[in-house]
Amino acid sequence: MLFVRPSRLADLDALEHMARTAQPVLHSLPHDRRALEARVALSEDSFRAEVDFPGEEFYLFVLEDAATGKLLGTASIVAAAGYSEPFYAFRNDALIHASRELHVSRKIHALTMSHELTGKSRLAGFYIDPSLRGDAAAHLMSRARMMYIAANRKRFTPEVFSLLLGVTDDAGVSPFWEAVGRKFFGRNFADIEVESGGRSRTFIAEVMPSYPVYVPLLPEAAQRVLGEPDEKALLAYDIHQEEGFETDRYVDIFDAGPVLTAQIDRAACVARNENRVVHEAAAAAQGPTYLVASNREGRFRCVLADLSVDRASGAVLPAAVREALGVQDGDTVRCVPLHQATQNEYSGEAQ
Amino acid sequence: MIVVRVVQTGDVDALVALAHETGPGLTTFKPDRDALAARVERARRTMEGNAAPHEAGYFFVMEDTATGDVAGVCGIEAAVGLEQPFYNYRVSTVVHASQDLGIWTKMRALNISHDLTGYAEVCSLFLSPRYRTSGVGGLLSRSRFMFIAQFPERFPQRICAELRGHFDANGSSPFWRAVGSHFYQIDFNAADYLSSHGRKAFLAELMPRYPVYVDLLPEEAQACVGLTHSDTIPARRMLEAEGLRYENHVDIFDAGPVLECHIADLRTVRESVVVPVEIGAPRVHHDGQRALVSNTSLTDFRVGVAPGAPEEGVFRLSADDAAALDVRAGDTVRVLPLKSKQG
Repeated sequence: MLFVRPSRLADLDALEHMARTAQPVLHSLPHDRRALEARVALSEDSFRAEVDFPGEEFYLFVLEDAATGKLLGTASIVAAAGYSEPFYAFRNDALIHASRELHVSRKIHALTMSHELTGKSRLAGFYIDPSLRGDAAAHLMSRARMMYIAANRKRFTPEVFSLLLGVTDDAGVSPFWEAVGRKFFGRNFADIEVESGGRSRTFIAEVMPSYPVYVPLLPEAAQRVLGEPDEKALLAYDIHQEEGFETDRYVDIFDAGPVLTAQIDRAACVARNENRVVHEAAAAAQGPTYLVASNREGRFRCVLADLSVDRASGAVLPAAVREALGVQDGDTVRCVPLHQATQNEYSGEAQ
Repeated sequence: MIVVRVVQTGDVDALVALAHETGPGLTTFKPDRDALAARVERARRTMEGNAAPHEAGYFFVMEDTATGDVAGVCGIEAAVGLEQPFYNYRVSTVVHASQDLGIWTKMRALNISHDLTGYAEVCSLFLSPRYRTSGVGGLLSRSRFMFIAQFPERFPQRICAELRGHFDANGSSPFWRAVGSHFYQIDFNAADYLSSHGRKAFLAELMPRYPVYVDLLPEEAQACVGLTHSDTIPARRMLEAEGLRYENHVDIFDAGPVLECHIADLRTVRESVVVPVEIGAPRVHHDGQRALVSNTSLTDFRVGVAPGAPEEGVFRLSADDAAALDVRAGDTVRVLPLKSKQG
């Protein structure tokens, strides 16, 4: 039985291991133990704090195996990206170059350094132990954050975003970095990733292009990967899509990976949420898999459980699930179908 | 004697014939009778002081006085960009540095500029292949500086010359392929034709509005910035010997260099002298010395290369050369002694 919960200082050893193992690096989890400890402490404070609007809070979650107590994953939410420093992304603008005399018109894309995402809540620091089989754990780890956001709206902005890994080749070389970042930094992508610690450091203003970068003037290889997730991020991409995230006109300044954004109101965690009353049962119900979350007295928990599609039947949960969620008969839990119904209203229409 | 002189209305037929020798590439000198007649007329109005500042332009022809053959042309625009904008890229330097990361990088960026607005421009030089022998091209090019030296009040403070950029073995511009083709959406020759015929509206509509980072372009395109077409290298050397320099302005289509300088710094302006003429055979001890010699008339300005050097404040011309330059004993001439090998 896997469940997601806020991290605590006792998790430090496991977190340190994950931080060192994760590839590519997790900027939200420093390798240095003391810095990591500070992050975990900040997270604990953040979960405890009374918050009226998003600020410097940082929420760190872990995926725990209830049977062994082992931690198998982590993910986080930054309440306001670039809280104290601007958060940088490239905005991909379309410029129309048209001439009436020549009867020509073309859309020319240009990448402009933008601070537009600064202050928005950001999903970050996703990591899953590679030993876990199947996609369910990844879905749970990733989307539990949205379940938390749905239950704690004041703590986050109405729009949240997530930066996915851009394309790199087998040698870890990013074609976009080679064409753009390298010219400004004069260094390898991997070195800068480790040194820089994120996308909200002031050195970016010093080093990255202050003028827009015309896309058609870049080498083909760089143009091709613009806004494309790396193979390693395809699962994450699918998970975000399932939640209702969409690609926007932003891409990462280093590897041109896509920035995905979602309006919380329209995301699955809110739009498809059903509050259900817990019923005790010996066995799990028959039905589709749901994300089930409880947030009793700030003790957030999230699991995957099969529930009947009949909302009125409530959340029939066996003991192991109730225990992982910390709920009893009669408590209310948030339930969101893990997947969109396969038969949506468009699927039957002729193409 | 081969002389360069101010164009006359009667030269139009000869100009049309000469323009047939140009072939593709030189967009400002085509066998178009109306256009050439208009150009001659514009030069005439300029001479008479009846041309508005934006249209003032001088036009010269090279003539073999022995045969009357017109074998070359060249021009000076008095002030560019006063009606249609005069566009160039200014090649600027951008440094990115971070002390924290120990990073310091320098790159070039191309900025659309009108910096050269109001400059005079030497332009439209064409010499018939039949006359491409030693010294003739130099005479044709430098004749304009003799004119400017003689009539400085007719020109602004600065002057420029646009040189053709680098084209690859297939006759295509790598810079155009990497930059211009994406923005202008027509082929190079069409863009060049429109631009050189005063139809520049499309430039403003289509050109890059933001600076272009040179270092982000393909390497072959980077190499083009400020690089002269191989055929134009002799012209560049000539202009550089005259004192013009590449000052980080390049053409917006092929990234060929623009050379520029203050008119007061032109070698011809600084070193030429005005002296009276005497008629006679060249002095023996001037053997091998030659000079650019012009008369001082505006409407019948003529310049040619003659043997000799000024001596004791006088320049001695043969009777034939004096006739070719339309000067008589006692008239003054402007003389620029040529260094050996030059001419």
